[in-house]
Parts: sequence; C-alpha cells; structure tokens
Amino acid sequence: MLQLFTSLESTSFATWLRESNTIWAYPTVLTLHTVGLALLVGASMALDLRLLGFARRIPVAALSKSFRVMWFGFWLNLATGLMLFAADASTKGTTRLFAFKLGLVVMGVVSVLLIERVVFRGDPERASTRWPARGLAAASLVVWLAAITAGRFMAYV
Amino acid sequence: MTSLFAHSTASLSTWLQATALSHAMVTQPWLWAICETLHFVGLALLIGTAGVFDLRLLGFIKRVSLGAVMDLRGWAAFGLLINLVTGVMFMTGAPSQYLHNAAWWWKVAFIAVAGLNIAVFELRPGARALVASVGPNDDTPLRLKLAGGVSLFSWFAVLYFGRMLPFIGNAF
Repeated sequence: MLQLFTSLESTSFATWLRESNTIWAYPTVLTLHTVGLALLVGASMALDLRLLGFARRIPVAALSKSFRVMWFGFWLNLATGLMLFAADASTKGTTRLFAFKLGLVVMGVVSVLLIERVVFRGDPERASTRWPARGLAAASLVVWLAAITAGRFMAYV
Repeated sequence: MTSLFAHSTASLSTWLQATALSHAMVTQPWLWAICETLHFVGLALLIGTAGVFDLRLLGFIKRVSLGAVMDLRGWAAFGLLINLVTGVMFMTGAPSQYLHNAAWWWKVAFIAVAGLNIAVFELRPGARALVASVGPNDDTPLRLKLAGGVSLFSWFAVLYFGRMLPFIGNAF
C-alpha cells in the first residue's frame, strides 16, 4: 500500500502540484477545496438549521434546490481532495487523522442522502416536523463540525 | 505617506504583540488550531446561510418570500461574529505576517465592501418595508439584486484571499 502511495506521489502531476512555484498549482486546488467545503457544508448546515426549527417561515420544500449546491460542492471536493491526496499520498495515506476525517466526511454525505430521502420524498413540510428529520439534521451538524475539526487539525499534527 | 504607513503598522504590531492574548496565541498548544477550526465553521455557516438569502435577493427560489429567507440572517451574523473574533485573534498572535501581506489587505477590503453593503441594506430608510414588500413569487427590484450579488461575490472574495494568505503573502 505504501508503495502505491509513493508511486502516486511521484507521478509528474503530483510532483507539479506539490513543487511548482505557481499559484495555479497547490494554492488554487486548496482554495477550490475550501470553496467546495463552503458549498457542501454551508448548504447542508442551512438546511439542518431549518429542519431543527429555525427560520420556520421558509417552506422546507423550497430548499430542495440546495441539494444541487451540496452535490456540486461534493464532486468539487472529491476531485480536489484526490489531487491534494496525490500530492502528499505517503504522509496522508498513513495518517490516522486523515482516515478519521474521511470517515466523518462519508458520514456527512450519508446524512445528506438520508435527509434527501426521508424529508424530500413525499411531503417535506410534514416530514420536517417529525423526529427522524430532526435527528438526522442534528447528526449532520455534529458530523460536519467534527469533519472540519479533523481536516483542520491535519495541518497541525 | 509610505513611511507613515510603515510606521503605524510597525507600532500597531509592537503594541499587539505585547498583549497577553498575542502571547497565548503563539504559546498555548492547540489554541491556534482550535481558532482555525472555528474560523472554518464560521465560514461555512456564513456562506451557507447568507447564500440562501443572497440567492433570493438575486431572484432565485422565488417561491419563498424575501422576509422568510431573511430570518436566516441571525445565523449569518453569528458565523461572521465567530470569524471576526477568531480573525482578530490570529492578527493579534502574529500581526506582522498579516499587516505586510497584500492578500490580507484585499481580504479586509472585501470585508469592508460586504459590511458597507449590509449597512446600506439594513439602515436605508424604508429598508424593512422594502423587504416585506417582496412576497412569494415576486421578483426583486434591481437594487436588491445588486445587494445580493455584492454580498455573495464579496464573501467568496474574502474566502479566496483568506485561503491565499500563505501563498500570496507568507502567512501560516
């Protein structure tokens, strides 16, 4: 496995991303990863807050379009995340915190899928007042906070 | 002018670095990382909630009244508050790496643009009545479209220059 990571890291693309002194390499990919975070986690948190009972005058059904924003952020971060991983594969691939972050991101994405299924297939206004929707919204918030924490701490440990 | 600017940033730097907060930011293990984490949470909260009402101001999700989406502004303000507090903490911890960083000044400039935009939106006479006048399925007047566009653009510009701090300037 480590050998795979090392060869991934030494591909010309990974080397360019990591070592070239242009703002278009690592800095831009890292910034796009932060934009994707804002879109995926931001839109998800806004929906979670509504499901928890804040801003009740907004019809829940009207927020169905926010899934497009979330999925756009998700694919952007999958793409940029794979690039950032390639640039630093042997370190990230063997860090427990990175595996932990990935697990939390998977849980966050699953929470979004479940909310889409439980709340938006049927009558969103009715579903949003029941406990599965509220429980999922609370879980989603907690998981995203943990994922951000794990991601940020990767730079410090 | 240049030397006056250099002089005032240098004395501000010296003053900030002498504070107990500055000392704590660079010596307390994990304090910087915890603030960074909160800064990213604040960013997601701000862009996620302001994004909803900015899009409505721009004329999207028309089925919701403007007044209803504006109910999210307390959460956007909370996200902004988290980021102003943690931002000031970073700046106090290592003032010179920000004060001598072009990306940081761009970031501050866009925060000012966003702040002025909010001030005009909230404080203009008749602001409340204008928000209340945009009901479900109503289009927004050009003035409000402009406010939504400026807000959305400025917050992403703030994110961009914030994330670029280590690369355009040399902040960590």
